[in-house]
Amino acid sequence: MTTAAPAPKANMGQPIPRYDAVAKVTGRAQYASDMPLRDPAYAYLVTSAIAKGRIDSFDLSEAQKVRGVVDIVTHENAERLEPAKFFSDGGYASTTNQPLRTAEIAEEGQIIAVVLADTYEAAREAAHRVKVSYTAATPTTSFHSAGTIAARAKGQVKRFKDDPKVGDFNTAFEEAEVKITAEYETPPQHHNPMELFTTSVAWNGDSLTIYEPSQFVYGLKNGVATQLGIDPDQVRVINPYVGGAFGSKGSMTPRTAIIASISRRLRRPVKLVATRDQGFNVSTYRAETRHRVDLGARRDGKLTALRHEGWEISSRADAYCVGGTRTTTRMYDCPNVDSAVWIVRADRNTPGFMRSPPEVPYMFALESAMDELAHQLKMDPIELRRVNDTTREPIGGKPYTSRSLMACFDEGAKAFGWAQRNRQPRSMSDGDWLIGYGCATTCYPTQMAPAAARVRLRHDGRARVEIAGHELGTGAYTVIAQAAATRLDVPVEKVTVVIGDSDLPPAPVAGGSNSTASTCSTVMMVCDQVRQRLFKALMPNESLSDKAKETVGVGQTPSGRAARSDQPLDREKAFDALGVNVIEEYGEWKPEGAPQDSFRAMHSGLVRIVGGPDFSGRIAYAFGADFVEVRVNRFTHEVRVPRVLGAFAAGHIMNPRTARSQLMGGLIWGVASALHEATELDERYARYVNDNLADYLVPVNADIPQVDVILLSEDDAHINPAGVKGLGELGNVGTNAALSNAIFHATGQRIRTLPVRLEKIEA
Amino acid sequence: MDDKTNPQSPSSFNRRSFLAGAAGGAMFPLAARAAGPTTTTIPSTQDPTLPVPVTLRVNGHDNSLNIDARTTVLDALREHIGLTGSKKGCDHGQCGACTVLIEGRRVLSCLTLALSAQDHEITTIEGLSNGVRLHPMQQAFIDQDAFQCGYCTPGQIMSAIACVKEGHANSDEDIREYMSGNICRCAAYPNIVAAVKQAAPEILSG
Repeated sequence: MTTAAPAPKANMGQPIPRYDAVAKVTGRAQYASDMPLRDPAYAYLVTSAIAKGRIDSFDLSEAQKVRGVVDIVTHENAERLEPAKFFSDGGYASTTNQPLRTAEIAEEGQIIAVVLADTYEAAREAAHRVKVSYTAATPTTSFHSAGTIAARAKGQVKRFKDDPKVGDFNTAFEEAEVKITAEYETPPQHHNPMELFTTSVAWNGDSLTIYEPSQFVYGLKNGVATQLGIDPDQVRVINPYVGGAFGSKGSMTPRTAIIASISRRLRRPVKLVATRDQGFNVSTYRAETRHRVDLGARRDGKLTALRHEGWEISSRADAYCVGGTRTTTRMYDCPNVDSAVWIVRADRNTPGFMRSPPEVPYMFALESAMDELAHQLKMDPIELRRVNDTTREPIGGKPYTSRSLMACFDEGAKAFGWAQRNRQPRSMSDGDWLIGYGCATTCYPTQMAPAAARVRLRHDGRARVEIAGHELGTGAYTVIAQAAATRLDVPVEKVTVVIGDSDLPPAPVAGGSNSTASTCSTVMMVCDQVRQRLFKALMPNESLSDKAKETVGVGQTPSGRAARSDQPLDREKAFDALGVNVIEEYGEWKPEGAPQDSFRAMHSGLVRIVGGPDFSGRIAYAFGADFVEVRVNRFTHEVRVPRVLGAFAAGHIMNPRTARSQLMGGLIWGVASALHEATELDERYARYVNDNLADYLVPVNADIPQVDVILLSEDDAHINPAGVKGLGELGNVGTNAALSNAIFHATGQRIRTLPVRLEKIEA
Repeated sequence: MDDKTNPQSPSSFNRRSFLAGAAGGAMFPLAARAAGPTTTTIPSTQDPTLPVPVTLRVNGHDNSLNIDARTTVLDALREHIGLTGSKKGCDHGQCGACTVLIEGRRVLSCLTLALSAQDHEITTIEGLSNGVRLHPMQQAFIDQDAFQCGYCTPGQIMSAIACVKEGHANSDEDIREYMSGNICRCAAYPNIVAAVKQAAPEILSG
């Protein structure tokens, strides 16, 4: 075992190398824009230079003169596509601001023309020769803009059902022995996956094939079909590998149907590779947020009152919010809780999911406030969490399915050397460097959604699993192969996994950390169907008694333990008895508490996620503890992060190697979010200024010296058959607060507006 | 940069000498060194929007193309030769996903014109393995789980090989610094450092 492949502890799978490893290191893995097209027209987008107003006219004369130009599509000649319904309102789209319909401009960077040419170079040149005359109006840019109005999210955003509250916050806060009131801000951020937002399409008669990086091939297929007015069965979305997504490739963006309609009109395949800067507007982003947190406590640290109010930016077109109060109001034992979420509309593109969407900004606020409270109480911040730890969430009184928060803090603290921390701020240093240790709780709701799979087993033990899952770098191929190998009792090398294709049985959007739990639970169930047939072949007269069910693993056996009989099933003998060479099973699985229409919705590309606080009778979360050491130069205020450590418990770990990598990436995302990342806005024009990878700061290798990940054993029998909580988003939730808490410990200065940058440090 | 192969002085600048000079090496970002003379011959009176003949030697094979003079090495590989292992992540030389080796040196293929890379040996991710055994750096990336989504990986591996050969893999700090031109948004950085360390001795001894 190596650092990269930690030895499995109890209730963990083997750290086998990635299923797709060889394809990825040899360049053979084909991403969407790698797919060959026959004589494609190259598309290049022209995007709006203003955020609000209208187009008066185009002058296309210079652009049309460029050799190789095939067509230039604007709102004046574009095909009228059907409107796209917002995903949050039961549709598929990331935004309802559909470009190329009218002369109106509703956001900077809105697509206003598409240039098609025989070569990429000609399309690019012609796009730069398109002249546009606008009448511009003054846009509302963000919270600071004049005349903004905040309105409650409740009632506006369908997904945001309620503002959690319990008890009597006002009285309790008034009477509290110790109080904290603090305001926090987080900046806009863009996902910036390495793979650009590309779309390649080809028609074959009435059938459309789309190669596009997608976290949800069924959603994209159905959404595009709706916009084009064709049968979804005529649309196929293929993307076996996604070059990073982090939420940006979850919902359908306007570009796809536009490119498909142009291709239909031209009778020619079309290839679009949107540029990096266009990507800041073509897809979504994490909008900026503001928070006010009030905490009241007894002198021993016990919380008596907690209030969290959040403000978020959305677009004019769509009411979007992340509403993280559903998590922050349930983190700690507190009898009096109040909350509210507000939305402020701006002339911007519609925000969307970005890695741990609600928890990153809202837990930053809560966990910073907890650190402020610990400081005021002269208490160790870990002990403050211990005093307020709970097995039941306070709002509905529902028990957690499992909660290993303090075990994570304790193991993490030990490995980090937390005991060496002097509680007094500005008390530790090394030469010119002030040293700070900070920690914070991290968490993420355990979520699952219905899925279907097809499993084929041959007499010689070779197996093939088909499911329209998505490989974003999460290890989906690998863990699905492991789930099937374990359940079918065949070597993992004999399992072929086919995913990333909307012609396969449906799987949910790869978001909200639901993929492994959903796809592996489904694959396990269908593998059990296969084993059941083999069992029946050997014992045709036996009904499936409980003993037999155990033998073939039928039913929702928790925690990924393959149920076994006393003797293993003799596969060869069973195939001989059946008289066939191959058996194939298809099955549809849905999590406990999923709505009645789950399976129909699933085939229509609509998601029915359950879990987190909305789980039947219980509340399901994964937990962890993040630790950060910072060093702040006492003269220059330069900040360095020599080490980060996270300890996590997330139910059954399918593969400690891929789990560790994903959590490590999450921790680094957290460091990036706290120290580097912010999309800067030009307040005058509602325009993203640093829309490229040189100016939008993401970490490079030199920024990240040491990252340690500790995986704790945890067995949760209440969540799903795979026993999996999911961990793609667990890593980067607590890091923002842990880092800024460490800055406070180093300098004595509390920085409540992210990112922490040296100009904000005054000490 | 190889200063001896500078383009000619501005007073004598014309399209032909520009291309000749560029092909001589001065155009390579990250300073690929030139080897051998250029054979590019384009009449200066030719319509500049017409395709031009370009021969690129990639992974030991010559590819004769007729392409727009503005085509980058990256787009030539991806759109015209069919080698899609090298990736486009920014097209601005900011991310490193397009890194290839030209005459053994790491070069950002999105900032390098195909015309200027004629008569040079280009090595891409597809050219590293003989199909039987992986290159030690490829194997190390697998062993150390030095990628997740895999999109930056071809560029990381090409860059890592050059990093070792340049003599910049002597310490973790050195590797981190000299691998910082390749962004990995999944943030596999500590594993990339481990992979470079694992492969370095075998690369240097082989």
